[in-house]
Amino acid sequence: MLQLQNIGKQFDQKVVLDGIHLDIQAGEIVSLLGPSGSGKTTLLNIILGLTKMDSGKIIFNGEDLTNVPMKRRGFNIVFQDYALFPHLNAYDNIVYGLRNKKGTVTEKELQDYIEFLGLQPHLTKKIGELSGGQKQRVALARTLVTKPKLLLLDEPLSALDGVIKESIKQRIQSIAKEFKLTTIIVTHDPEEALTLSDKILIINEGSIAQFGTPHEIINEPSNDFVKEFILKQLQIKRQNIYHLFGDKNA
Amino acid sequence: MPNVKPAMRAIYIPILLFFAAFLVVPLGVLFVRSFETGEGFNLSNYVAVLSNGELMMSIGNSIKISGLAAVITTVLAFTLAYAVNCTRIYRPLKAAIKIGILLPMLLPTITYGFAIIYSFGNQGLLTKIIGRNLFEIYGFNGLLIGYVIYTVPAAFLLIHNSFKYIDKKFIVVSKLMGDGILRSFSNTIIRPLVGTLGGAFVLSFILSFTDFGIPASIGGTYTVVATQLYQVMLGSIPNFNHGAVIAVLMLLPAVFGVLLLNYLEKLNFHYDKFTEMEPMQHKGRDISFGMISTVIVTGMLSVFAVMFIAPFLNSFPYDLSFTLQHFVDTFQSSDLTTVYKNSLFVALLTAVFGTCIAFCSAVLNVRTGIKGKSSMDITSMMTNTVPGMVLGLSYLLFFNGSSLKGTFLILVLCNIVHYFTTPYLMAKNALAKMNPSWETTGELLGDSWIKTVYRVILPNAAATVVEMFSYYFINAMVTISGIIFLVTAQTSLVASKIKELQHFAKFNEIFILSILIFITNLAVKLLADYYQKRKLKHL
Repeated sequence: MLQLQNIGKQFDQKVVLDGIHLDIQAGEIVSLLGPSGSGKTTLLNIILGLTKMDSGKIIFNGEDLTNVPMKRRGFNIVFQDYALFPHLNAYDNIVYGLRNKKGTVTEKELQDYIEFLGLQPHLTKKIGELSGGQKQRVALARTLVTKPKLLLLDEPLSALDGVIKESIKQRIQSIAKEFKLTTIIVTHDPEEALTLSDKILIINEGSIAQFGTPHEIINEPSNDFVKEFILKQLQIKRQNIYHLFGDKNA
Repeated sequence: MPNVKPAMRAIYIPILLFFAAFLVVPLGVLFVRSFETGEGFNLSNYVAVLSNGELMMSIGNSIKISGLAAVITTVLAFTLAYAVNCTRIYRPLKAAIKIGILLPMLLPTITYGFAIIYSFGNQGLLTKIIGRNLFEIYGFNGLLIGYVIYTVPAAFLLIHNSFKYIDKKFIVVSKLMGDGILRSFSNTIIRPLVGTLGGAFVLSFILSFTDFGIPASIGGTYTVVATQLYQVMLGSIPNFNHGAVIAVLMLLPAVFGVLLLNYLEKLNFHYDKFTEMEPMQHKGRDISFGMISTVIVTGMLSVFAVMFIAPFLNSFPYDLSFTLQHFVDTFQSSDLTTVYKNSLFVALLTAVFGTCIAFCSAVLNVRTGIKGKSSMDITSMMTNTVPGMVLGLSYLLFFNGSSLKGTFLILVLCNIVHYFTTPYLMAKNALAKMNPSWETTGELLGDSWIKTVYRVILPNAAATVVEMFSYYFINAMVTISGIIFLVTAQTSLVASKIKELQHFAKFNEIFILSILIFITNLAVKLLADYYQKRKLKHL
């Protein structure tokens, strides 16, 4: 279980995060949802250990990680632009971290990850030769083989188009299930957040606007912000789609 | 950006100390020495130098001739860059212009002078072909030709590079809007390039003003600052304090020039994006620019033709029978082969350690949050400003009593500092384009910071590192102004040996040594280009 206790952060007098307090259960997928500048990426970086928090605590499975440096937290992230190493091919990217921690995974497990993410045909390709979805999966594999205790994903779908988006969504869900991996996702897209995750943390101007399941958010929005900016978007989308297919399919 | 790690400081502090010891302190000493007299510190050195008619005249001469050379160079370089970028002349001709124009960079400037003498002198190759003396070459005319040949490549590179960042679509827009030739030309080419053209002028001026090789070989009785400085320091009655004053005076236009360059940078256009567009059809333009640029490049290169011919002839220009005797003699002379080996040794060390220092400096500046990282930028601006002769002189004054004096090491150090700016900027440019999350990713995958630099940053910068290496190597091979005050009989390099051979009128040896430098540099350049092309295709 990951516990965030009253996390606060300021950049040059400006409050970026204030009183972030919540518990995330093991194996849950949680989305951090909010407009740009809301502080969601800062929160992600604080959990990762890249950014220092000004106040509050992070507890993971009972252990206080507040002052544990990034490298020793055992968390890992897939960046929005993947940050793959272009001088290495897909396979060498995937096993990059294994050279530092030998014995993290067995050869069999490694093959399982590759199989699971459907990367077998692409292993010898250069990064430049991969499509967006393939890059995403290589980056996921590179992160997963280090067996992180917590998986962080920064806007994992923003660089992908249509059909690929849906298949990567399913992939992320099955990863969390298969490996019982707690997963935290940053996104600015309500549809993505609500269809992908078990719980959603809606952040507005550095504070929690609502934390709950998709069902709770749709049916019991806790304030105007959630109604205006989150639900409104979804309703407009729904309308447009109904309009396309005709009302009889509603 | 990763948090500051001890390893970053472990690199940062030595680099800082290095530039303190080999740039800041020597220059400080030079400055102090310029005020030092028998009766304490005062302005009397300055008064003496400034009231010396011959010295003042040489400064005036330098300004005059460097200014004129800079104007001619800017016009020629612009013409060539325009021909390459905005016309549809035959492609192989474009390639030939781009390569041919850069060849003089592979030779020491002191060779230029001798090539000019052997081309335009009374018995010169071109004089013979044309049938009469074109002009008096010693002094003003010779210097002017030399400076122009020396500065055209650098000015061309600068303008050519800016042309890439001009949105050529505006040429089409301007035509569609009904602009005439002149208005279109001035709005879509000249105006966006004004900053660069000014920059090319300033750069050419500074290069000519501070060069020693050309006036040393062909200056004749026309005195310029560089030769005066040499006279005062190493002439019959050396006066180190007066030398320091002249060095400070030489530094002034360079400082002014660099400030001006930074100002001109602001005049440059920054298009949001630029589109590649094929230039419009225009036969007249293509034919005329094709001809003009061919004439310019052949003209420049023809000056060097004699260098590759004379040493193969028995006794140019009197006995024109073919012989390899001069080459055999040169290679049998242990004196000359040693000098060549010395040059190779110094260039290699300069390239290896210079590339290391420049690369590390750029990594610290671009890819870490270390405090005071902007000191790297300040250092690079300083090294860009200080002329080689001034730096060399400051070493002579500062390290005179130390064990560094007369070693190869001091030559290497001087070269590394002297040529630091360009490789540093190359590295910065490449590093800035890399994904900012690589270090964090590496760390999460178990790397230490150094390990990520070695396993990820360095391999992805390989092409740039090779380019930096070749820049350092070639410049270390050809420099004379930086090392002329620092070489001894034991640490003589090819460029300084040429100066010595001049007194014995051993022109065949001069040309053979020059050919050796040329071939070595050409080989390094071709290898580096080949490697870079392969790397880029790979990624």
